[in-house]
Amino acid sequence: MAYEEETKKLQDALVSCKVPDIASAVQAAHDAGMPAEEIINALGAAMSDVGVLFERGKLFLPHVLSAAAGMKNAMNVLDAELKAGAGAGQSKGTVVMGTVEGDVHDIGKSICSTMLQCAGFEVHDLGRDVPLKNFIEEIKGGCNFCGMSALMTTTMTGMKTVIDNLKADGIRDNVTVMVGGAPVTQGYADKIGADLYGESASETTKKASALASD
Amino acid sequence: MSEYYTRMGDGKRVTMTKEKILDDIHEGSADAADMASIPQLDANAIEHIAEIIMCQDRVVGVEPGQEVVLSYDIGQLDFTGDNGNSGNGVDMGRLEAALLHERALGADTFELAHSDYSIKPVKPVISMEMQTMEEIQAEIIAPFFYGAMPNQGLYYAPDGPYGNPADLMREFKIEESMQQSELASQHVTRDIEYVATRLQAAGSDGFNFDTTGSAGDADCVGTLNGVKILREQCPEAYIQVGFAGESIMGIHGMIEFEGQVVAGMYPHQYVHLAEKAGANVCGTVCNSNTSKSLAFNIARAVTFIKEAVKTSNIPIHADMGMGVGGIPMCETPPIDAVSRASKAMVEIAGVDGI
Repeated sequence: MAYEEETKKLQDALVSCKVPDIASAVQAAHDAGMPAEEIINALGAAMSDVGVLFERGKLFLPHVLSAAAGMKNAMNVLDAELKAGAGAGQSKGTVVMGTVEGDVHDIGKSICSTMLQCAGFEVHDLGRDVPLKNFIEEIKGGCNFCGMSALMTTTMTGMKTVIDNLKADGIRDNVTVMVGGAPVTQGYADKIGADLYGESASETTKKASALASD
Repeated sequence: MSEYYTRMGDGKRVTMTKEKILDDIHEGSADAADMASIPQLDANAIEHIAEIIMCQDRVVGVEPGQEVVLSYDIGQLDFTGDNGNSGNGVDMGRLEAALLHERALGADTFELAHSDYSIKPVKPVISMEMQTMEEIQAEIIAPFFYGAMPNQGLYYAPDGPYGNPADLMREFKIEESMQQSELASQHVTRDIEYVATRLQAAGSDGFNFDTTGSAGDADCVGTLNGVKILREQCPEAYIQVGFAGESIMGIHGMIEFEGQVVAGMYPHQYVHLAEKAGANVCGTVCNSNTSKSLAFNIARAVTFIKEAVKTSNIPIHADMGMGVGGIPMCETPPIDAVSRASKAMVEIAGVDGI
């Protein structure tokens, strides 16, 4: 495999979650002639490892963000070369995220937003207690992923309302609807016609990334 | 091949063969062991869980003499809360709820709670809570505590004065996010001192800190510092520290209690934090996976909690309810699953209470 040593150093640096180390590894790989797209792909693969380590309690949110910051810096350094490549460096998709109306719990949703951002999605996080029509407006504005969270059985029904309204407006097929939160299950996601259920932030990110690359 | 009725983690009824049940028990135990670097359940424990699950009685229980202490949380909300809030929608006063728990449900301990069940909103109504505590203490015989969640989320924007770490981190303001977490954590400690010492003065037998660390590691540290102060000021108080999950979420990542980073700690580790802070009892938690079977979830929960029981110097009361302790996540957890998970937790993990 070409650039095997550089790839390993890039991935080790990213999993170390130290921004200067990531910058050094990126510069070294670039100086060795490794193409920008391969550098970003190597960092992207390591970012998935960071997500797994976060889920298993071995790394924490600031670590994930430091790794993402390192990756963002790398994108800036390699910007010119990436722009010259076909489609490299593009966002995986635009996601509207929020905790549905009536529900003020947002920690899980915020972690999920952060993980999606780190994975290369553009995230519009509307916060919590989000009026249901705001999800629709964001989708009409161009978001092609919609992530809805709820921590209460009394509020999770808002997810179905959003899906029903998307159908009524004739735009259901324009968007991948993702649902999650403590009381939400795969069974409920199936029942209301959501496209994706995530048991955790990293599972949601993994599934969304897989759909985005299809 | 015989199939046995059992459940999935979302409460759905399914049938499974003994082989599949055993496979799931192995998988659940292995997952917990891998996450927390603790031993897997041995062959006897695995067979025991399988027997509990395969028993086709609607409800199972422990042998006479093996019963454990049952402590109840969320006060009157057991009755008055809506279905989504673990309640039954039966309206009643807090005194009636306390007496019903003591005299009809056989609760060994019970508590007074504010309907929002968080420390912060108790502050403006502290006099009313003190008065109610005094009134109920005059009637009840069982130990009667005050219960609330530290709920550090209420101290962050838009609910409180401190910047929201999640928002700050998405802007890569990591240092600032940590600072705001630390300030909010100190505020939680101050509020715990304010609320808990007053309720103790009003005659409370103790305090139940419910879902400690729900807003992450800084929430946990703020609570433990509050517990420490409460222990110093009220040496006789019975203090129960219940945690929010099977590991302490690292939102700050580096905040310490008594020189130890708390983020990422599992039940067998965080029980020692509770003990060090001065708790009498630690409430350990393991979250259920809705996509896995009851067998997987019970085995996983028992593996975590068994190790905590083994290493703890204070009693362990496992949190058993909607979506925790191996019990399915659904509005009204089915009694067949609740009783199976509880039996396994007592007989295999060896918990002191539930």
